[in-house]
Amino acid sequence: MSCKRFLTVLPLIALLLLVGVGSSQAVYRQQCPPDTDGVDTDGDGIVDNDNICVQIGGGDGYAVMGDGRHLYTFGFSAFGGPYTPDDVVNGTAPDPADAGNMWSDATNPGLVLGANFPAPTMHFKQGQKVFLTLHNVGMLIRPDLFDPHTVHYHGFPNVAAIFDGLPDSAVSINMGSSMTYFYNLVEPGTYMYHCHVEATEHMQMGMLGNFYVDPIQDNGSPITVNGKPYSKFAYNDINGATGYDVMMPLQIHSFDPVFHTEDETVQPLSFSTMRDVYPMFNGRGYPDTVNELTPTANPGDIDLILNKEGNFAQGMPALIKATAGDRVLLRVTSLSTTEHFTVISPSIPMKVVGNGAQIMRTNGDPTGTDLFYMTNSIRLGGGEATDVILDTTGVAPGTYFVYSRNLEQLSNNQEDFGGMMTEIIIQ
Amino acid sequence: MHRPTSKNWSRLLLVAGLLLLWVAGTAQAKVTGISGTFFDFTAKTDHISTGEGNSLLIYGYSIAGSRAQYPGPTLIVNQGDTITIRLTNNLPVSTSIIFPGHKAVASGGTAGILTQEAAPGGVVTYSFVADQPGTYLYQSGTNPALQMNMGLVGAIIVRPTGFDPAAPTAYGDASTAYDYEVLFLQTDMDSTYNELVEFGRSAEINLNDFHATYWFLNGRNGPDTLLPDNVSWLPTQPYNCLPRIHPGDKILIRWVGASRDAHPLHTHGNNFRLIARDGRLLSSGPGNGADLAVSDYTQTVNPGETYEGIFTWTGAAMDWDMYGHTAADNITLTDLVNNETGAAGPDGFDDNTYEYVADHEKPMPVTLPGIQELTFSPFYSGSPYLGGGAFLPPGEGGFNQHGGYYYMWHSHNEKELTNNNIFPGGMLTFLIVEPPGVAIQ
Repeated sequence: MSCKRFLTVLPLIALLLLVGVGSSQAVYRQQCPPDTDGVDTDGDGIVDNDNICVQIGGGDGYAVMGDGRHLYTFGFSAFGGPYTPDDVVNGTAPDPADAGNMWSDATNPGLVLGANFPAPTMHFKQGQKVFLTLHNVGMLIRPDLFDPHTVHYHGFPNVAAIFDGLPDSAVSINMGSSMTYFYNLVEPGTYMYHCHVEATEHMQMGMLGNFYVDPIQDNGSPITVNGKPYSKFAYNDINGATGYDVMMPLQIHSFDPVFHTEDETVQPLSFSTMRDVYPMFNGRGYPDTVNELTPTANPGDIDLILNKEGNFAQGMPALIKATAGDRVLLRVTSLSTTEHFTVISPSIPMKVVGNGAQIMRTNGDPTGTDLFYMTNSIRLGGGEATDVILDTTGVAPGTYFVYSRNLEQLSNNQEDFGGMMTEIIIQ
Repeated sequence: MHRPTSKNWSRLLLVAGLLLLWVAGTAQAKVTGISGTFFDFTAKTDHISTGEGNSLLIYGYSIAGSRAQYPGPTLIVNQGDTITIRLTNNLPVSTSIIFPGHKAVASGGTAGILTQEAAPGGVVTYSFVADQPGTYLYQSGTNPALQMNMGLVGAIIVRPTGFDPAAPTAYGDASTAYDYEVLFLQTDMDSTYNELVEFGRSAEINLNDFHATYWFLNGRNGPDTLLPDNVSWLPTQPYNCLPRIHPGDKILIRWVGASRDAHPLHTHGNNFRLIARDGRLLSSGPGNGADLAVSDYTQTVNPGETYEGIFTWTGAAMDWDMYGHTAADNITLTDLVNNETGAAGPDGFDDNTYEYVADHEKPMPVTLPGIQELTFSPFYSGSPYLGGGAFLPPGEGGFNQHGGYYYMWHSHNEKELTNNNIFPGGMLTFLIVEPPGVAIQ
């Protein structure tokens, strides 16, 4: 076909394309098919509960820093109300008793201006099949932005490009529409997730969260190590080496207030001079990291931004509570957009048992040689994950600290004695 | 979204994508460099182009009268060889080369702090025995805080004894076998240094106040990283950084930290096995192979360090057929041997295409949004299937010739995905997983 002739048919092709999609105009919709394969892939003995459906919104909101300053954010919000949002136009809701919706207690429903920081925690089990629907609800404070969003499940093995959430290699979902991502969870471990659209901006602005998958070994019989039985494990380890009693995800992130203010006030964005002065764990600067108050219990005692529905935008404390003798698993991840952080536990040694969502054995193989090591510090750049176990055997009751050893990061901007720090309370 | 930069990205992608189409099927599978035992370097000034269109003065090494290049030539040598490098200095300042990890001896020139230096117009010669296989760095040994920023860095690859190009290994051990290899030489640059040098105001440079404004892979910023080797408009930045594999292929990644800062490189698509650091196999003892290798999805590359990892991607256990096969296609898979070892017996993958047998003919479990609901990448084929393709709205897609899967490999300190305040760019490139049968070199 000559070039000229091709050009004449281009409008025709375009018209056909438009007609072809006329029936799929923008709409919020969830895809949540029932589990009918008759196979129990998550190993819990039930054959029809392996499909798990969750919904999140992508939009904007506010977060409050440890010094009380409010910063404009982009973020994800959890959709409450199991499987009955008005937006669901297809798919069949599974039985709510299957605990398919992690936020079914409606602790954190949010739509427009409901961005959470960090994003709602994704917690699944190996063998589950996840249908994660992202609704792009738009930016209320920046209506001039019609940014698409994605979910990048960071570390998912052997992902197909279409579900990788990389806008530069596949697709991203426009405002006013929904996309359902599908993940077959064959590998347990510590992951993270974030929006990958214009990643420097959307991630600095807060579109990121914790994501972890329990191993199928948790379904089995307890494994006794040093006379103590464990039934929860970081990885499929065969011998109980990664067994734990208490688990806490610790996500590293940090905010540059200049950048957030520029975004809020429609200014050119300063990428080159980006400098984070609000280092945080789980979206909070100390002492908010150890504040477990809920808005219903003590309204007014805590200022962590209530979203439109009256729930916390920063609902994830990082306070670790254990009884002496417990093993504490810390799933430490970093999604800082600017720098590396060194996290130390000076009093209770860390045993590194995993990194990059794989057990710390030869080639990440559960049957490989142990490559665990003891340390007091771990260093993470953006996109890195390290699993450590703190064995509190013999640790005296009291309060212990986990914090950034980059000491200038123990501040909430100008306010000292804050920043990237949390406490371990041993009873 | 910052509209002007977004447009900029589109324009750059347009150029990059057209080039990809143009050169598709040409070399990207092996590390480009020069081989031998004697290398005649000349250090001199030249300019590079940055991803957003700036031009910066550099110091670079040149070979045989060519222009200076950034980074310096990748030296690909054989274990056991004695390597000699003669450095002629055409810079206005003294310079030298050091070879971390090698016991180099210098002759000629004048004594410097770290090694013998060549004064302007002078010559100095270095030699060392490449006694261990692996990936190494070479760099300026004279005022390196400035001269490395100006471009005087490069990589050395030492092939193991008995290296067979038809069945390559990184360290002579079966656990380090690979099909393809790629170099990721990482540098960062504070462009105020380059500007002050260019304007003759070097005395004003404060080496304690380093603030990178550019980040490079193999001497190029994104999206120039996607261009082929030796494009005519980047005459001083010859090296490509766009690896391609098929499902099941193993690609050896050679990371070189020639930067001032540490950079965490994230491999979209899958984990890799970290098999070596600083030119030493992660092995508990001779003959044990890479038995201390760990699996990870992000490798922080510290300044001055090198790492090797082996990455593979199969698409296993997606729970849907990534080729979109249906029963109507009547395609029968064959799984009689282990694809990796060649031993008899099934391994779960088709013997020819590496398709994951258990997912064959399983439909994709979700439907994709309509095309009006989506924003498309130029690298999206229009189809979620590997090797697939479909009509996209006019002006969308078009740069993915074979329906491959594109995975971004990039610094996850995302600030580094910029070129002097312009997003996107910096330390990013892609791995392309091409469908079976697509020629890769």
